[in-house]
Amino acid sequence: MNTTLLTQLLVNGMIVGALYGVVAMCFVLIYKASQVVNFAQGEFVLIGAWACWWLVATLKLPFWLGFPVCLVFMALLGIIVQTVVLRPLIGEPVISIVMVTIGLSIFFQALLKWMFGVFVQPFPQVFETKSVQILGLNVETAYLMSLAISLVIMAGFAYFFKFSKMGLAMRATAFDQQAAQSMGVSVRRVFATAWAISSVVSALAGVVVGLVSGVSASVATVGVKVFPAVIVGGLESIIGAVLGGLIIGLLEGIAQFVDSEYLHFGNLITIAPFYAMLIILLIKPYGLFGTKTIERV
Amino acid sequence: MKIKTAVLASLAASALLAAPALAQQKIKVGNLLDLTGPTSSTGKISGPGKIDAFAWINANGGINGKMIEADSVDYSYQTQRAIQQYKKWKDDGVVAIQGYGTNDTEAMVGFIAEDKIPYFSLSFSGHLTDPSGISPKAKDGKIKVAPYNFFIAPSYSDGNRALILWAAEDWKKKGGAGKPKYIHLGDNHPYPLAPKEAGEELAKESGFDVVPSIQYALAGGDFKAQCLALQSSGANYAFLANTTGANIALLRSCATVGVNVQFMANIWGMDESGMKAAGKAADGLVQVLGQAQWGSDVPGMKVFRAISNMSDPTGKAYRPLPYATGACQVLVLAEAMKIADKAGKLNGPGIKEALEAMKDFVPFGTVGMCSAATWTPTDHRSVDKVTIGRAKVSGETEQGEVADLVEKGTVKYEVLTTIKVERKPGWQGY
Amino acid sequence: MAGSMRPAGDYRTTYQSDRTIFPTRGSLIAFGIGLLVLCLLPLQIGGQSLVASYWLALIIQIAIYGIAALGLNILVGFTGQISLGHAAFFGFGAFTSAYLSGKHGVPVALSIPLAGLATGILGVIVGMPAARLKGLYLAIATLASQFVLQDFFNRASWFTGGASGANAETFNLFGLALSGDRKYYYVVIFYVVVMYLLAANLMRTRDGRAMIAVRDHYLSAEIMGINLTYYRLLAFGISSLYAGVAGALMAHYTGFVSAEAFDLLLSINFLAMAIIGGLGSIMGSLLGTAFIMMLPEVMQGGVKFIQGLGIGQSAAFNEGLAYLKEMAIGLAIVLFLVFEPDGLAARWRKIKAYWKLYPFSY
Repeated sequence: MNTTLLTQLLVNGMIVGALYGVVAMCFVLIYKASQVVNFAQGEFVLIGAWACWWLVATLKLPFWLGFPVCLVFMALLGIIVQTVVLRPLIGEPVISIVMVTIGLSIFFQALLKWMFGVFVQPFPQVFETKSVQILGLNVETAYLMSLAISLVIMAGFAYFFKFSKMGLAMRATAFDQQAAQSMGVSVRRVFATAWAISSVVSALAGVVVGLVSGVSASVATVGVKVFPAVIVGGLESIIGAVLGGLIIGLLEGIAQFVDSEYLHFGNLITIAPFYAMLIILLIKPYGLFGTKTIERV
Repeated sequence: MKIKTAVLASLAASALLAAPALAQQKIKVGNLLDLTGPTSSTGKISGPGKIDAFAWINANGGINGKMIEADSVDYSYQTQRAIQQYKKWKDDGVVAIQGYGTNDTEAMVGFIAEDKIPYFSLSFSGHLTDPSGISPKAKDGKIKVAPYNFFIAPSYSDGNRALILWAAEDWKKKGGAGKPKYIHLGDNHPYPLAPKEAGEELAKESGFDVVPSIQYALAGGDFKAQCLALQSSGANYAFLANTTGANIALLRSCATVGVNVQFMANIWGMDESGMKAAGKAADGLVQVLGQAQWGSDVPGMKVFRAISNMSDPTGKAYRPLPYATGACQVLVLAEAMKIADKAGKLNGPGIKEALEAMKDFVPFGTVGMCSAATWTPTDHRSVDKVTIGRAKVSGETEQGEVADLVEKGTVKYEVLTTIKVERKPGWQGY
Repeated sequence: MAGSMRPAGDYRTTYQSDRTIFPTRGSLIAFGIGLLVLCLLPLQIGGQSLVASYWLALIIQIAIYGIAALGLNILVGFTGQISLGHAAFFGFGAFTSAYLSGKHGVPVALSIPLAGLATGILGVIVGMPAARLKGLYLAIATLASQFVLQDFFNRASWFTGGASGANAETFNLFGLALSGDRKYYYVVIFYVVVMYLLAANLMRTRDGRAMIAVRDHYLSAEIMGINLTYYRLLAFGISSLYAGVAGALMAHYTGFVSAEAFDLLLSINFLAMAIIGGLGSIMGSLLGTAFIMMLPEVMQGGVKFIQGLGIGQSAAFNEGLAYLKEMAIGLAIVLFLVFEPDGLAARWRKIKAYWKLYPFSY
């Protein structure tokens, strides 16, 4: 057994998985607060990446200025999408909400390809050293930064939901919209805030991917990887989403190892997460950390 | 209600306009493009090449005075869409078609032969090179006989073979000890798979150890896991069979991981704009070059400047490699149409006959840009000389346009050698 | 839904009259005339075709996709399940029919229904999670099966020809080759009429009503003695059968089947057809399919008209148009869900009711 390769693949899987975790966190945040499954999550990551790229590479703003501007833009975009598209759908069946976010994703994907082209665009270097060595593996600084940032964000989320007024309002809304409303919680504001936070964090993830492998339409594929992550972790748990992302990342690493050493299938790495997802759905549908409200029918 | 009626009426009106225009006295040609699909990173460069070439031919008297009406359609690299488009073109009575991808072209071989429509493709798959069924592959039923398929370029397989021959030389020159290892990388898709058998077979014959192939998606993504597997395989020479977009991502990922492999790519595997996007990661890549770099001092460049001016009157645009590779397919078709027209046979069989009479033929004297091509009724391997070049990236590429980077010399191709790949009977058809 | 759209004074006093497919003699006559006109379309009179081949091809495609969309509507609109993997079933039908006719010499006339049957069985198997999951979880499970099945198509070369795809035979009936749009058209029209009548009929049987009950309130349905698992699986089976038949028809229409055509985007397009047409409406499925298929064509016509014919050839124009078409589909889905959630079928009923009572609408 080739342990060097396995270690390297696992370290890499963990780093990639952390990124999946951050995006899955955004997904869960929206779901928890407003019961909306965002199939356009990947596109939000991509929009964030392109917006920052455009500000920094085309408008040539310095990173310290361009980045916050881009985050503000993303927050506004999140609020606009929520108020214009999703607010009218409150109370509609799941299928409508699933489809409307899919519609958004198709729309944004085509629009972004049209606006920014299909070429990979390199991001201007932000960090001095591009990569450092961990367990014999070169790891981009951007990934490490994202790991650190996502830890900070997670801690922030934990604090936010436990102690802040808005966080409590969000949890109340997630638990029972009508009851929360009658207690004086502005459900509208809760929804808008959730979308704003989610799209800002998505943009962060997008910039990290952009720094590492350049910006292109394929950045949005992370949006598909979110599903295995949230199903493993459970749709309603933020910690679960992060762990689910890590598990999927590690699983990809193992899949690539088994594939290249023994099976030679070629694409086990891309398909393994979906098999894992199907199995989890069959044996433990509410995931490892989700609430067991799902009815057995 | 009024507004609704108005909207409905205008919808109906525009629906009627969608109907095809009335037939005109023009030569109809179909032109398939991928501007939005997974290979659009090259398709967006070769596509304008083909369109400009059609425009240039019309601006220079067309086919003996008759204008070409080229119907350019984007099909997003979707085979079934290509076939539906083909049927539509057939009904419209096109004389010839400029195709695009490997999967769609190979899928249509049977229809094309039946309908006798000469079909130039941007797929240079070796499977399209047996027009009469004399090759061992066709006799075994492994490939379809393709009497009406043409392309002017070395086939993917011959390109791959030339790279293997170069790699064997290179290994010797470097004084490498033991057996070098060769690996094929690509997606599970007919285009990357087309040269696989030919390359691995010749690699074995030339003393390489052939390592099991690794997959990476045509659409791109983060390929660090694949690069780690590549590194661990211990390969010395890696053939990248995908198009530019995916190769950029792979090269960048592998540069981060620190893979020490000589990368090689086929004709659509890299270009100047890809080098800009990949940066230093693309440096040292060895590649099959379809023609001289844009702006080179070759006789064919004059015609190509004129072609480029069709869509860019300023004459400033820089055209990466696929532009001319695409345009050459149109130019040689136009030459064949002229010959067929003079003989009074401007139809499928006439064009085929004209093409198969060509010997070391360079369309419109574009020496250095379009390869000298020879077709015979039994062999459609048009080009047997393969130019191999090395991508040179000598600085940061993040700022500036491709044109500036080329002018500064940051991004350039260095021609290494030209290898003649014999038209061996056993090598036909793959 | 339909009940509330009925004008005052139109009472149904027996169950029979409430269940009839053609409520009035007029609607039956209209159906007959419509069918006759459809059958006349491909004819050529004196070398001049009645309908341009372009439109004929469009009608064929609308009809084929319309069958698949109806299948999805039975699952989503009538039974309340969600499927994001309908394209995979469509593809399975296409590959099965190509495989049966190409590798085993089964006549195409037989391989199409067989492919439908095989896909139906697959649908029941893949639908197994549906027995335990609902709503969002089911959507995600079907999303996974979409990816898994598409990967299977790419890998199973013995069955699908792998990544390079498979050829499909032409349709032969009693030695008569029904190749070419003008002849194959009749095969497609036959299937559309049969499949739509079957679906309309299904919805007035006990099974159909049970499905609707499962959709409307599954707990009450269960209390009334409806076996939820059975009807969920049945819905998956029937819906896949429709997709399989449509896929097989498509395979023999294009003459070639290739795995990359059956991607998530096609699944989404099927859902868009069902939703825009109107969930829970049989005819709506066809309306929705026509809308989704015509939208890009109409846009192409409109844009070409605005730009003038000459510009229509540049690469930038072609590219922009391709993206505009994609964006239009996405936008259409969003706009319909926000402004017309009941789809075109509901709009059609409203228009009909408006004219029936004109000028004294209430």
